[in-house]
Amino acid sequence: MVKKRVGALEKVDADLSYTEDFLNQYGQYQSQRDIFLASPSTATSSGIISFRDLIDFVAHVADCFPEDTANFPEDLKTILTLHHAQLESELREKIVGSLVLLRRKEIIDSSNLLNTLFPILVATPSKTLRTLLFQKILSDLRTSNSKTINHRLNRTIQTALFNLLTSDRSSQKGIWAVKITRELWKRQIWTDAKVVEIMKEASLADNEKVIGGGVRFFLGGDKEREELEDESSDDEGAIDIGKLKHQVGINKKSKKTKKHMEEAIKKVKKTEKKKQQPHPLNFSALHLLHDPQGFAETLFSKHLQNGKSKLNLEQKLLVLQLVSRLVGLHKLTVISLYSYFIKYLTPRQPSVTSFLACLAMATHNLVPPDALEPLVQKIANEFVSEASASEVASAGLNGIREICVRQPLAMNDTLLQDLVMYRKSKDKGVMMAAKGLLSLYREVGADLLKKRDRGKTATMGIKSGSIKERRFGEEEVGGIEGLELLEQWKSDERKRKRVERGLPEIAGSDEEDEDSEAEEQAGWDNWDAESDASNDSGGWINVESDAEIEISDSDDDKPSAKKAKLDQAAKPETEKEKENGDAVLEQKISKLATTKLLTPADLAKLQELRLEASVNKTMGKKSQSQHLKELAARHTDDPLTADQIEGFSKLRKSTKEEMIALAKEGKGDRNEHKSTQAIRKSKKEAEGKSTTNKEKARKKNFLMTLGKAKFKQKRSLTQTKRVLQGHIERAKRGGKRGNIGM
Amino acid sequence: MGSSARKKKEKRKDFKKPKLKVGKTKAKADNFTDTSFKAKSIVVNQQSLTTAAPSSSSQFAHYLSLASSSKSDTQRRDALSYLTTQLSSQPVNDPLPLPTAILLPKLLPLILDGSASVRTQLLKFLRLLPPADVGDRAEQALLYTRAGMTHLAAEIRVDALAVLEWLLEVAKEDIVTCPGGWVKTLKSFMSMMGWAVTSGSSKWTSASKASFGKAGKSFPRQMLVLSQFLKAGLVESEAEASVTANAGLYPLVDVERHMIPTRSNAFAHLNLFGSSRDEEGEMYIDREDRQMVFQKRFQAPVEVGMENARKEAGEAGRAAVVLKKVLVDGMADYNG
Repeated sequence: MVKKRVGALEKVDADLSYTEDFLNQYGQYQSQRDIFLASPSTATSSGIISFRDLIDFVAHVADCFPEDTANFPEDLKTILTLHHAQLESELREKIVGSLVLLRRKEIIDSSNLLNTLFPILVATPSKTLRTLLFQKILSDLRTSNSKTINHRLNRTIQTALFNLLTSDRSSQKGIWAVKITRELWKRQIWTDAKVVEIMKEASLADNEKVIGGGVRFFLGGDKEREELEDESSDDEGAIDIGKLKHQVGINKKSKKTKKHMEEAIKKVKKTEKKKQQPHPLNFSALHLLHDPQGFAETLFSKHLQNGKSKLNLEQKLLVLQLVSRLVGLHKLTVISLYSYFIKYLTPRQPSVTSFLACLAMATHNLVPPDALEPLVQKIANEFVSEASASEVASAGLNGIREICVRQPLAMNDTLLQDLVMYRKSKDKGVMMAAKGLLSLYREVGADLLKKRDRGKTATMGIKSGSIKERRFGEEEVGGIEGLELLEQWKSDERKRKRVERGLPEIAGSDEEDEDSEAEEQAGWDNWDAESDASNDSGGWINVESDAEIEISDSDDDKPSAKKAKLDQAAKPETEKEKENGDAVLEQKISKLATTKLLTPADLAKLQELRLEASVNKTMGKKSQSQHLKELAARHTDDPLTADQIEGFSKLRKSTKEEMIALAKEGKGDRNEHKSTQAIRKSKKEAEGKSTTNKEKARKKNFLMTLGKAKFKQKRSLTQTKRVLQGHIERAKRGGKRGNIGM
Repeated sequence: MGSSARKKKEKRKDFKKPKLKVGKTKAKADNFTDTSFKAKSIVVNQQSLTTAAPSSSSQFAHYLSLASSSKSDTQRRDALSYLTTQLSSQPVNDPLPLPTAILLPKLLPLILDGSASVRTQLLKFLRLLPPADVGDRAEQALLYTRAGMTHLAAEIRVDALAVLEWLLEVAKEDIVTCPGGWVKTLKSFMSMMGWAVTSGSSKWTSASKASFGKAGKSFPRQMLVLSQFLKAGLVESEAEASVTANAGLYPLVDVERHMIPTRSNAFAHLNLFGSSRDEEGEMYIDREDRQMVFQKRFQAPVEVGMENARKEAGEAGRAAVVLKKVLVDGMADYNG
């Protein structure tokens, strides 16, 4: 509150000279209230001063006369609770507003207010009142949580919402619980597991709307929250960007590197943000779920398997998406889910691509291949055949690929060899999809492919035995991401220091120990004194300046000559590095992480190195296996959508009406039987537009153009030069408008 | 360019005089708009086309609704005066065109009406109502009367006092015994006369600075009405007194208390079915109860105010004397 106003109020409080006037007003309020309560439906506040104004007045000064107005809030509450349906709308709004005002003046507390407003919100038939109450409830919850989190209030409200949902599962009232919870989740006021529990109850309700609200929350609530946060905060990671930009300034400048740099920065920023997303304080709703297995099972059996459930296809799809996301994310085992899919996997099924996407999401590496094999077979039979439309075939192939990325064992060799043949298809979508499948299996199961399809690396790998068949349930040995980089860096540093001191590069073992201990000490020291000191010692981040971006179809059967050259140039170094890395990787992991404690300085450096590596990766050549890993990891962050399954070709481009409308557009009324040109022209005239320059030039009097034609001979040398240069330029660009479309 | 001749012609056309011909209608102007229309029937608002004249009772009802809900002052007043003449001109023993139960709730809100003429007309009308019917609706009437007494406009307060006077004339027993009738009305008096006390502990003993209270001439009148009200509530009525006087049916004592009560809804004070009442909204059936509450909450400020008024002398002083006499009479046999 403004200081001046506070002063004025204090004055009023001290000098009670207005007491009697107030009491008169209050008396008037009381008698009006009595009249109102005697017959709430007929009483009209048609006097000189309406009941509404009296309420307003008393509410505004109630904090100055606390003893006299002790009953005032209770009065308002009873009027509102008992007669909210009959009150005229303005009076009703005034009472709600006055109650909120009293809350702001701290005459009543928040839970008191919310306990009054919430039952009315649920019960009232008036839409305007509902919106008003909803808004007031939200704003009150926000303000009371603004300074510190008001745990007690949150708990009581959450319990009220929970009870609302669980007390009557078939009523529509639960939608308000869903709305409030979602809004508060979006604004990060409620972020705890209790909220997720409320939403879980909502998705297990019997009412379609409530179910829809709950399921949508799980599918989209976090994204909504993220977007809201993105809007509010845009300046993250500013330091690193500055550094990288500086780097660009030093190295050789070219448009290409600059563009690459920008893209890389953008990507890094995005991925960093995404990585930070499951912040310790801000787990996503799906991660906060208690007992996801039980939840997924009940959702599936209640809404999908149950023949009595009244959900329509769209709602069922939503529930199915949630179930499959849960299964994929938490690696749950719901075996009956896969057989459920079977009857929906036909090209005639509406929104079949969504079903395919759901199936892919529900697949993970712990799903038994036996459950998936018939599905893959069915998709192949139904969708992928010479006779089926190309869109259908590509959707089927994409679907199969997405399933096999997550569980490669779901495929057998005859089917795979069959499907891979489609890479010769004339349709681009089908061709791309088949190639995608081929490149996937070159990585994960080359032995299923025919020998000539395997490609060089896979064949060599099988021969040398470095590529082994993955068994079901086998997990990869994990480690700390970027740890090998840290180790590399540390040894480099050590070497550098030794060279500075004039010692030989390779040290004895005891010396090394000493060195490392001293370093470790320094790391902790740094942390204590100035935590960002380590950044200074870190030096520059190296960004490979001339690495090429990988071209996606490099493993084509007949690579073009140019590309081959390029590959040769790039390969030897990367290949060598990779092999080196692979060889020493495992022992390194065990060595560093198990023998030493990582100091905070180390961790900071690790973060920096990771960033550098990811920049290099996005700019340079990415190995196929990394790409695959990313693909497989995608569904943990983002859901797979139907669009991704559809690929290049949409299943149905547009309805007939749309196509007809598109064809008719701009042709005007056909009744006149004029030429299209004439119709367009008349339309333009009707809109009040002028003719084009071209038209004007065409219409121009011949005699007037003579002068300009003569001028051509009088041009100076520079003018001629400019004209000729302009011509060449235009020819290069491909005409005045350029070859935009090609 | 090629069209220039045509364009010139078009331009010239504006300045040509149209030729008028005999026997042909004049050409319509450029901006002519056709406003004719076709309809199967034409409905004219605000015109009743009944052949029979409305009956007097329906007309009465019409005027009643006009009086209660019309927006214009004069219309309300005229409607009220019509109702008054209707009531006064009809034979003495005829029933009312509409029962009091319908009339009163519609007309009582007019106590708070902004226009003075409407209020005076209302008072005239109220005085014509049969007294027996008013008693049962005393509570409702008191609601509006109290609202009038605490109203911010001085004229409305004065007129509300007149209504209270009328009520005291026709149904004084009901007025003081109905729920809220005693304490709430007294409170309204206190705030009207500026004798109000805050429920909070006041730090200041200053004289009333309120711009609301003692409104000059009306103050003595307020005191007189208060004394009437107190008399109705505190002083034993003659009817009751006479009953006690001729209670010569020895050995029977207090016979009338053991007989079937004569008043309607005799157990209303137990409030068996309504929402619970607080001290203010309670019914005070007995004189002793009323005395007790009065003594507890109002006697001190009334006495202070009365003394001050007595010192003022003049009309206010005389009214204060009347009030004092009532007070002494009423509280004489009270031994708290």
